[in-house]
Amino acid sequence: MEIRIKGLTRNYYSEGKQIKALDNVDLTIPANKIFTLLGPSGCGKTTLLRCIVGLETPDAGEIYIGDDLVWSSEKNIFVPPENRGLGMVFQTYAIWPHMNVFDNVAYPLQTSKTPKDIIRQQVAKALNFVQLDGFESRPATKLSGGQQQRVALARALVAEPKVILFDEPLSNLDAKLREETRKELRSFLTELKITAIYVTHDRIEALALSDLIAVMRAGKIIEIGDPKKIYFNSDHKFVADFIGRANLIKGKVEKLEGEHAIFASEIGSILALNSQRIPVGQDAMLCVRPEFIRLTSEHKDQGQNIFRGLMETLIFIGEAYEGEIRIGDTLLTTTIEPTENIVEGDDISIAFDPDHCFLLSA
Amino acid sequence: MFKKPTLTTTLIIIVGFLTLCPVIMLLLGSFSQDFVSFGQFTTVKYVEAYTDPDFADILWNTVIFTGGSALVATLLALFLAYVNTRTDLPFKFIFKVIAIVPMMIPHILFSVSWVLLLNPSNGTLNRLFMDLFGLTDALFDIYTLPGMILVEGLLDLPIAYLIIAPAMSAFDVSLEESSKVCGASNLRTLMRVTLPVLRPAILASAILVIVRSLASFAVPSVIGMPGRIYVLSTHIYRNIATGFAADFGKAAAIGMSALAASITLIYVYRYLTSESGKFVTISSRGFKPTLIKLKNAKYPMFLIVGFLSFILILLPVLVLFYTSMLPYSMVPSAKAFSMMSWDNWIEVLKDPISLLSLKNSLFLGVVGATIGTTLSIFVSYVIVKVRSTASGILESLSFLSFSFPGIVIGVGFMWFFVRTPIYGTLTALLIGYIATYLPYGIRPISSAFVQIHSHLEESSRVCGAGPFYTMRRIVIPLLIPGIVSGWILMASMFLRELTLSVVLSRPGTEVLAVQILHFAEDGLWGPLSALGIIMIFISSALVILAAVLGSKLTKMEVVK
Ligand SMILES: Nc1ncnc2c1ncn2[C@@H]1O[C@H](COP(=O)(O)OP(=O)(O)O)[C@@H](O)[C@H]1O
Ligand SMILES: [Mg+2]
Repeated sequence: MEIRIKGLTRNYYSEGKQIKALDNVDLTIPANKIFTLLGPSGCGKTTLLRCIVGLETPDAGEIYIGDDLVWSSEKNIFVPPENRGLGMVFQTYAIWPHMNVFDNVAYPLQTSKTPKDIIRQQVAKALNFVQLDGFESRPATKLSGGQQQRVALARALVAEPKVILFDEPLSNLDAKLREETRKELRSFLTELKITAIYVTHDRIEALALSDLIAVMRAGKIIEIGDPKKIYFNSDHKFVADFIGRANLIKGKVEKLEGEHAIFASEIGSILALNSQRIPVGQDAMLCVRPEFIRLTSEHKDQGQNIFRGLMETLIFIGEAYEGEIRIGDTLLTTTIEPTENIVEGDDISIAFDPDHCFLLSA
Repeated sequence: MFKKPTLTTTLIIIVGFLTLCPVIMLLLGSFSQDFVSFGQFTTVKYVEAYTDPDFADILWNTVIFTGGSALVATLLALFLAYVNTRTDLPFKFIFKVIAIVPMMIPHILFSVSWVLLLNPSNGTLNRLFMDLFGLTDALFDIYTLPGMILVEGLLDLPIAYLIIAPAMSAFDVSLEESSKVCGASNLRTLMRVTLPVLRPAILASAILVIVRSLASFAVPSVIGMPGRIYVLSTHIYRNIATGFAADFGKAAAIGMSALAASITLIYVYRYLTSESGKFVTISSRGFKPTLIKLKNAKYPMFLIVGFLSFILILLPVLVLFYTSMLPYSMVPSAKAFSMMSWDNWIEVLKDPISLLSLKNSLFLGVVGATIGTTLSIFVSYVIVKVRSTASGILESLSFLSFSFPGIVIGVGFMWFFVRTPIYGTLTALLIGYIATYLPYGIRPISSAFVQIHSHLEESSRVCGAGPFYTMRRIVIPLLIPGIVSGWILMASMFLRELTLSVVLSRPGTEVLAVQILHFAEDGLWGPLSALGIIMIFISSALVILAAVLGSKLTKMEVVK
């Protein structure tokens, strides 16, 4: 089911100051996709999610779930959360401690007065799906963190909602379990063919899980795109910087060449992607990720996008070297194959692939 | 339901009245000549109270009594906590029993049982020793300061233990281990490392026991007064108890200094407990300390601990029961056993005043706990869920009465009640009880509220449940255990209440503990013991119920 949000605004007041948790957000979340809201902590992700499920009342705007208008400040419409037919996994999982696993999972069906034998079937199916067969009579307090997370997922899914929402569901798990659960979640969600809205501040989680990522900052949506677009060719400096490690180099657009442009930078002229069609003469920023800075034996004058520099620091971290390369006043961070034969202080040549460095409006 | 700000304000007014009214009335009363001339400022009562030639003695007695009790209780608690957490002593469940069970025995009955054992003229133990060893003098006279200190120290042992034991088990054992690596012996390590690191907990325990014993009335009245040893609480009582010449102005003037001392001490206690987090190094590794092997000392040590729990728990009940079956006190012998009968029980159950006091106490217990719990539910809700400046004020107000000595609050309330029609009614006692024991209700209920994270309600809503269904299936089931244990705790406090009642109770509003005090003053030990056993029975039943429900409540805590 598609979700449409128009002009959604929510302000909080604390200690006499106004906080714009949501600032006139327009957003369409396409049906049957895994849609992630990504942004630094405090940017309004949770607030947006809670407005969609109906736990928070926005100050202005409209929310459609499918064709139903569930919130409109103008038309004075508020559909309470229990009538929105959504499933949600909370950050704390919110497993009811006084019930066993069966009652926790059966609860959404019990509220709708489903016959008992159907409830039993559905619960068994949901528990089987999250690989907790036979846990029905386990008290909720006797579950590990990972198991609580699965029970929460089973509960959100049991009534077969059209939309399921997640608020940082992995943030309470330890690092190793988080990675495993992320993979499982990905396979659950692809299997289900359901609209999933996923909130996280962890960029790897967002990249690994999503069909589409919306990056938020200070109550606004900055950019929406698929993971590769966001990582390789984002339109905004904030997004490029937030989604992964990035070297940002200042300069001016010198000449357009189809999809690309020649960019006069602090370290020389570079051919780079210019998907945003930044016009000639405008100040811009070049973004190149550390793993796309390639060591080369060629010399500067022998090809495009090749520069000479000094290997200033070099740290071996097992799977790679982490290095810093100095070119004039510019310091570029890079990751280098662990098999390369270099040491700190070496003079080196590096190359940027024109398709893997891109221009951002400054 | 309610608009939150108005609910908070209403509660601040109610709780503010309950806690501040007696204090303000006490202050005003202390500057008045008598009830009639209330409001005409005079300092004559202060002059009277503090120029009394006896006053220096009373103050000195109070210092020795409270300090001595703190020493006894804290040393015993340290010993027990150390043995429990650090040695391989068998049967450790006994420590749990020591920490909880003495709460079932009302303080006045505990004191009476020691009088029955160790009074100089016919105390059972004293007589036993005189007969066995042909002594002419009593072995130990309980009607002395050391006697008072011994009994009060034992009464406050559970409190001290509950403060010291957690600190002892949270203590980072590697500090001790490194001392031993440096070649220090167990004893040296204990003296040079363990005790100094535990200092804040030890001080906190000592101060809390001082506050408790300053407010204590049972021991000073049952043991101190017959030996003509007066402390502040009994000195206040002496001024108001003499029917026609009751001097509530002087009582208030004396009460002011008890109140001031108590508030100051609680302030120091708060400071210490907030600082102690920095001091006691809590090991996050969760290593179990290696237990010291007691080897040959195991059984003597066990005997000591077993003996302590015997005199704390079993002995008082046995003595009371034994006394309740006899026409007059005598050493256990074939003759004594042949004379046993239920006469005292029958007498008590026919005595109209005893029956009235039983009825009144039950009424106060049931009705008072119900009203008190209801109030606690609202207060806890505001403290936990509303989180504003106003709710902060409410929280401080609610826990203020913890630091007020009961008898002083009673005098303060008296100054208020005489100006109202509820003077001398059960309602007056009801209000006084709720005001003094409100924290006992708020504690368990607010911890139940804390447990209900807002997500638990919200996820129910998202799952398709309306607000009422959510109330019924999520909120109320999670609150019930806290509410029930709050209710039972308050009811059992009210059933045994002495210090406040001794001031507020009038003819017609007698309560159990006051009736027992009167029996003690008249030396009617048989009927006293029968009534006492009835009281212990009712209050134990309640405490056991509370403990069972409480353990269910803890089991319910969400696993992190
Ligand atoms: N109940 C509230 N009262 C006041 N401020 C709030 C409240 N909830 C959220 N905020 C503020 O709104 C902003 C967005 O919060 P949130 O949506 O929780 O961020 P995120 O989930 O992205 O970390 C934050 O600055 C937060 O402090
Ligand atoms: Mg959040």
